Amino acid sequence: MPPSTDLLQGTLDLLILQTLVPGPMHGWAVAQRIELLSRNALEIGQGSLYPALHRLEYKGWIRADWGASENNRRAKFYSLTRTGKKQLEAELKKWDRLSSAIELVLGRASEAQG
Amino acid sequence: MIAEFFTRLRFLFTRRKPADLDEELAFHIEQSTQRNIAAGISPEEARRQAIVEFGAVERAREQCHEQRPGWWMGTVAQDVRYALRGLRRNPVFTIAVLATLTLGIGSTTAVFSVVDRILFRPLPYAHNDRLVSVGLTAPIIPEEFMLGGSYYVWRDSQKPFEAFTSETGVSPCDLTERNPARLSCASVEASFLPTLGVAPILGRNFLLDEDRPSGPKVALISYALWQSHYARDPGVVNRLIDIDGNQVRVVGVLPKDFEMPALEAADVLMPQALDEAVQRKADPGRVMYAFARLKPGIGAAQAQAMLDPVFQYSLSLAPAPFRKEVHLRVRSIRDRQTHDLRLAAWILLGAVLAVLSIACANVASLLMARAAARERELAVRTVLGASRARLIRQALTETLLLAGAGAVLGCIFAEILLRAFIALAPVGIPFLLMAHLDARIVGFTLLLSLVCGMLFGVLPALERPRAAALTARFRSSGAHAWLRRCLVAGQIAVSMVLLTGAALLLRSFRNLEEQKMGMETRGVLAAHISLPRSRYNTPQKQIDFFLRAEAALKRMPGAESVAVSDSLPPGGDHSENIFNNIAVAGRPRPASGTGGMVARRWITPAYFNTLGVPIVRGHNFTESGRGSAENSVILSSLLASRLFGKQDPVDQKLQLEPDGPWFTVLGIAADVKNAGLSGDDEPEYYLLTRNVADHWAAHSVLAVKTSLAPAAVEPWIRAQIAQIDPTIPFEIETLSQSVGRLADRPRFETALLTFFALCGLSLALIGLYGVIAFLAAQRTQEIGVRMALGATRVQILRLIAAEGVRLISIGAVVGLAAALALAQLLKSLLFNVDAHDPASFAAVTLLLAVVALAATLIPARAAMKVEPVQALRYE
Repeated sequence: MPPSTDLLQGTLDLLILQTLVPGPMHGWAVAQRIELLSRNALEIGQGSLYPALHRLEYKGWIRADWGASENNRRAKFYSLTRTGKKQLEAELKKWDRLSSAIELVLGRASEAQG
Repeated sequence: MIAEFFTRLRFLFTRRKPADLDEELAFHIEQSTQRNIAAGISPEEARRQAIVEFGAVERAREQCHEQRPGWWMGTVAQDVRYALRGLRRNPVFTIAVLATLTLGIGSTTAVFSVVDRILFRPLPYAHNDRLVSVGLTAPIIPEEFMLGGSYYVWRDSQKPFEAFTSETGVSPCDLTERNPARLSCASVEASFLPTLGVAPILGRNFLLDEDRPSGPKVALISYALWQSHYARDPGVVNRLIDIDGNQVRVVGVLPKDFEMPALEAADVLMPQALDEAVQRKADPGRVMYAFARLKPGIGAAQAQAMLDPVFQYSLSLAPAPFRKEVHLRVRSIRDRQTHDLRLAAWILLGAVLAVLSIACANVASLLMARAAARERELAVRTVLGASRARLIRQALTETLLLAGAGAVLGCIFAEILLRAFIALAPVGIPFLLMAHLDARIVGFTLLLSLVCGMLFGVLPALERPRAAALTARFRSSGAHAWLRRCLVAGQIAVSMVLLTGAALLLRSFRNLEEQKMGMETRGVLAAHISLPRSRYNTPQKQIDFFLRAEAALKRMPGAESVAVSDSLPPGGDHSENIFNNIAVAGRPRPASGTGGMVARRWITPAYFNTLGVPIVRGHNFTESGRGSAENSVILSSLLASRLFGKQDPVDQKLQLEPDGPWFTVLGIAADVKNAGLSGDDEPEYYLLTRNVADHWAAHSVLAVKTSLAPAAVEPWIRAQIAQIDPTIPFEIETLSQSVGRLADRPRFETALLTFFALCGLSLALIGLYGVIAFLAAQRTQEIGVRMALGATRVQILRLIAAEGVRLISIGAVVGLAAALALAQLLKSLLFNVDAHDPASFAAVTLLLAVVALAATLIPARAAMKVEPVQALRYE
């Protein structure tokens, strides 16, 4: 499938990549961390988390290895690859451009109203 | 990007264990459960909440699968498998569609391959759209020609052409070296090849010096001759070869695809070497054929107008009485080559496109019926989560499969059909031997089948299945049923048109075959002998040969009668005279017009007996007359009545040429068909071939009448001739064979059109049957109710059949109207049949009505046999 340009999907990819920056993490932890960091504002549907993880893995942006979890169970740990790190930077820049652009538009909109 | 590509590629080929994903998802739920337990919830409740929180596990699993690169390829394979299974489950449908596509695509491709050569292929000359054939037309020569007396004036003072050139025809010649062969030699002007834009692949074109009466003898040889006789040796250039006993220097080799503009076979091109000064003064001068290259921006019609001054000059040279019948003609070379084939080619193409449209309508109709029957299946699949795109893709896969298989089968069928065409076709149809399936035509086929597939396969899938389709009660698709009815009526109309065309041609062909020839054709063998000029170079040698052959054949057992003649009817290849050249003693020669052409035949006295032509008045020539110096003539009844009306022509005196000798009319022979099978009979006169040099030519026909089987006599004739000269090649055939050959082309045209008409009819019948059966099946329940309420079986039959009858009558009326309008196009192909021949139209209507009714009654009878109880319980 060609890479989707869907905003939401792209955003989820960005969040996952950012979450994995500190180190390898399994899927559950990724979900928990995103929820935690967003103060529960972003609830990741598991239905979309795993497809996203797999998609990133297929793209070669993250890598998956089996390892032992904190309670000693076999779990799949995801970590950023080199391409993933580069991709994250690119995505962050894109996000910055996009969000500042949106802010600009919204700012103008409020001026016009006022 | 590249790294990403390789990662994807790696994942494409490494398969993941499904267990891994299961374990990963289970781990996730486990973690959630642990957290819930830690929050103080009972273990069961904790697990329940974790599962609820996760959502649809199966969906997540599927979505993970779908992320895999190459996943969609797997679904294509799945679609293909599914489609194949569906097609296998429904063999009748599959076979019907494939047969229809094969027939439609195959015949279209085959016919397109043939007509492509005639109508569309580029000619092997540079910028061939600017090349034209220019000349005068007169009754004496059917194609446009020029005469030496005016050609040079035209060439020097014409305005519309960049280049103007001529040829003086093709004649047989002999290669007289160690590997002798009979060839055809064309005589052309030095400017011939440059005007056509053809360059020799080896050597050079003729020089101006070589195109003079006493210039050096040179020749250009064809690629085929170069290949067969000189093993493609480049050293052939500048070599001396022997043609008709003369040493001729080869100056070049023609390209492989070279052909003469009038399509005569030519192995050798030689300079025509005419003496310009002599020709300019000559009246009328040598017959020539002129070709020219138009200046850019000038069309043939414009050129014709611009040539008027020179045309007026040529008219002034023509004998005053004939001027009215001389015209100017400028037309493209393609027109000159194909004028009489064109109509037949277009009609054939039209017929086959009609068959294709019937086939397409059938496929559409079948696919629509299938879609209607599958509406419920589609609805179920939608409910189970198949997306619209997926359903459309599925439909597309299925139709593309069908179309692809149809195209392959169609190509095979086309190849078979093409070979059959070539095997059946008469020799006289040019281009047919060159026809073959090439890449362009295969592409055309693929495109055709894809368009057919797309159009009709995807349309039904675009419609959202209605929820109502899920309830078993409802099964109909009104809009499609209406469209299908229209298609069927259209099919019937088109077959009607095809059938009338075929019927008219059939009737015309029968008229052609059954007409009276005016002579005996069975049991007459004809040997056409053309003596090589190099060895038989004096008239005396030619006379000696033919007299010896005649005597030898007369002695042969089984030969009842042997005649020698310069030509034989009914073909039109005899010599001719102009009617108004003939003067009757004591009457002035007619002053205006040509009066048309008169056939002239040089014969021996046995001719009439051999061919079974009765002498209706007066006497035949006598054997003793062959040695005398008397000038006598025998007229055909037609010529006698045109010259003398009711007067008795016997013993009258005629002058056959202005200032020629006077001939005495000896007798009147019955009329014989003498201008081909479909041409109007020409008046004819017979002259006695006496034993003097100028009565004989290198070409003569020996006709032998025998009561034995012709096949047995033929080798005897060959043996007799071989005894005189074993090196002379010649053809022997019975007169009925040569008559049959004249009918080859109409037979071929008739057979093809009939074949396509029957194809179209059977396809239309399948379509009609399908629609009626489908409608009847849909109304099973209604029929049950009607019968339960007291309808009789006959009423049910009438109910269903009425539908068919309506379609048939609409189709037939529309078809009849169209056929009446289109029949005019066939007019020039018809012989003794009116284009609106009522018998043909009536017969076709009757035939169509009967078979179409039969196709309706079969499903209608099945509907009639429905058991009401079962019909109601069903569902």
